Amino acid sequence: MRTITVGVLGAGRIGRLHADNLLRMPGVRVKSIADPYADFGAWPPEHIETGLDPSLVLDDPEIEAVLICSPTPTHAPFTEAAAAAGKHIFCEKPIDLDPDRIRRTLEVVDAAGVKLQVGFNRRFDPTFSRVRQAVVDGDVGDIHIVKITSRDPEAPPVEYVESSGGIFLDMTIHDFDMVRYLTGSEVEEVHAMGAVLINPAIGEAGDVDTAVTTLKMASGALAVIENSRQAVYGYDQRVEVFGSKGSAEAGNETANRVTLSAGDGIRSDTPLYFFLERYQASFVAELEAFFASVRDDRDPPVGGRDGLMSVLIGLAAAQSMAENRPVRVEAL
Amino acid sequence: MKQTTVGVIGAGRIGRMHTENLVHHIPEATVKAVASPHLDQDWAEGLGIPIRSIDNSVVLGDPEIEAVVITAPSGLHCELIHQAAAAGKHVFCEKPLAFEPGAIEDVLQAADRAGIILQVGFNRRSDPSLLDLVETVREGRVGDVHTVRVTNRDPKAPPIDFVKRSGGIFLDFLIHDFDTIRYLSGSEIVEVYATGGVLIDPEIGAAGDIDTAMVTVRLANGALAVIDASRQAVYGYDQRFEVFGSGGSVAVNNTTPSMSVVSTTAGVVGRTPHDGFVSRYRDAFIAELRGFLAAVRGDAPVVAGAGDALAAVRAAVAARESFNQNRPIRLVEVPVAAGGGTRA
Repeated sequence: MRTITVGVLGAGRIGRLHADNLLRMPGVRVKSIADPYADFGAWPPEHIETGLDPSLVLDDPEIEAVLICSPTPTHAPFTEAAAAAGKHIFCEKPIDLDPDRIRRTLEVVDAAGVKLQVGFNRRFDPTFSRVRQAVVDGDVGDIHIVKITSRDPEAPPVEYVESSGGIFLDMTIHDFDMVRYLTGSEVEEVHAMGAVLINPAIGEAGDVDTAVTTLKMASGALAVIENSRQAVYGYDQRVEVFGSKGSAEAGNETANRVTLSAGDGIRSDTPLYFFLERYQASFVAELEAFFASVRDDRDPPVGGRDGLMSVLIGLAAAQSMAENRPVRVEAL
Repeated sequence: MKQTTVGVIGAGRIGRMHTENLVHHIPEATVKAVASPHLDQDWAEGLGIPIRSIDNSVVLGDPEIEAVVITAPSGLHCELIHQAAAAGKHVFCEKPLAFEPGAIEDVLQAADRAGIILQVGFNRRSDPSLLDLVETVREGRVGDVHTVRVTNRDPKAPPIDFVKRSGGIFLDFLIHDFDTIRYLSGSEIVEVYATGGVLIDPEIGAAGDIDTAMVTVRLANGALAVIDASRQAVYGYDQRFEVFGSGGSVAVNNTTPSMSVVSTTAGVVGRTPHDGFVSRYRDAFIAELRGFLAAVRGDAPVVAGAGDALAAVRAAVAARESFNQNRPIRLVEVPVAAGGGTRA
């Protein structure tokens, strides 16, 4: 297997997670990590160059692929700069919150002829991949209903909410991509109903903390996504695909499979608490898929168009809630 | 315990089920008469029911009969309730009481004037699992309610003839779900948005109905609810419920007639859920009639009254309008005025 030399932009939580995964990944060599705000300290290992300036990565001719894990507003400019430098790109979601900005960025990427994968890691989760496989294998027949439960364990700080782009672009965006992935169909129309039930400060910041979004797919199927910013019992991530031949359902994952039976009930441990734990395997698998695409010169499994579509759906959902009416998703 | 003398009007599938439950499982009831236009005399005789007729007046005109179980076709429900109320008989009536809120308002008032007990057949309210769920919510164990979820899927799409006179999926099928949401949340429905499609059988579409539906609901207490419904789940009757709140969640999953699990190299296979409402809600159907008889005796409040029927029908009408107009509908947009119905 050919070794690919990689640079990482952004050494926050997700950047470090990806870099650590790459350090254990065969066929990949992390050469440098740049982050203007990082206090690198004892991390990463000494043989990896670190710096404050992104040019450390972007101007290095030896670097073939770049991971963009910096704050959202830098995703589009870094993607364009990396494409211009002829580097393949793995970019965290969202590419941008403005569809026109995403379109411009995708044009630059296309013109450069480099690969672009967007970080919809949940597509690579072994459990959800298995559900998709059941769909592909025809086990559920024609899809009629998709149900996604997506509840965070703890509401984020209000400062985060204020800069998040709102629940639909920050949180539900993963679920929109999951609906597209599971169905293999496009979203035509969105209706969203929201409420502030967890923290009034989230409402004052102009967002909601609880939402039910229904989607009409081009295939005719219906989908529903239920979101909550706070499930006290843990990270609640379930999907179900129901169709003419049956249903495929994925429940929550727990750290163990122990059942404690006592006089007052049958107890198992709560779901894995945090997305880094729940989706650990998916973060590795999405990068393996990205590097395989680079090595084999194939289209990455999640491309720029997927990144754009989920933002368009998110904007339609936000508009639907604001105007209290169903909204058709802007055609690509 | 005091026995209540009961008459049954309508001996179709559900009428026969209720009658058999009364005879076999409910010692506090005596079924004196059954009337149905296509009555199976052998069946009724086998149950030891003394009076068997194709004429409803043998039930409504019998002074000894205190309570009537109405399981005639939906279109006859209101008129039969009016007649029973006029005769001073307590009524248990299958859902829906009517397809129009105004007609239900009429029977509600007639029942009040006559001073009779009127219970509607929202059987889920008497299901042991749902009773447990609602008690858990009322005890505050899941905190403030944020979302309520109902999955309602029938094992097999009904015949087209039934679909045509059913009142449509929202009034015939999701009516139970609207009631369940009110029951589980303890709050009123204020707004609905319905979407749906014909995904199972084009004939259902040709009959002017849909077979797959999804409804988002806003409740007066601020909570949200969602129903996903299908006329056909090939693996059986899929009935799942969840209430999620600030303190956690409580869910009821499918029950299966057998708990066996077969593990082989081909996989681990459990049994499918019940094959229909008769077996899934067997206990609930018995319990709801016992509840009705307890209300008749004055021992307990009515499990599901005409007010509940009215609220569910208004939500169903709102959902139908939401689907037709493709916009959210507030329940205040659904008229409730008495006299708007189709009283014969």
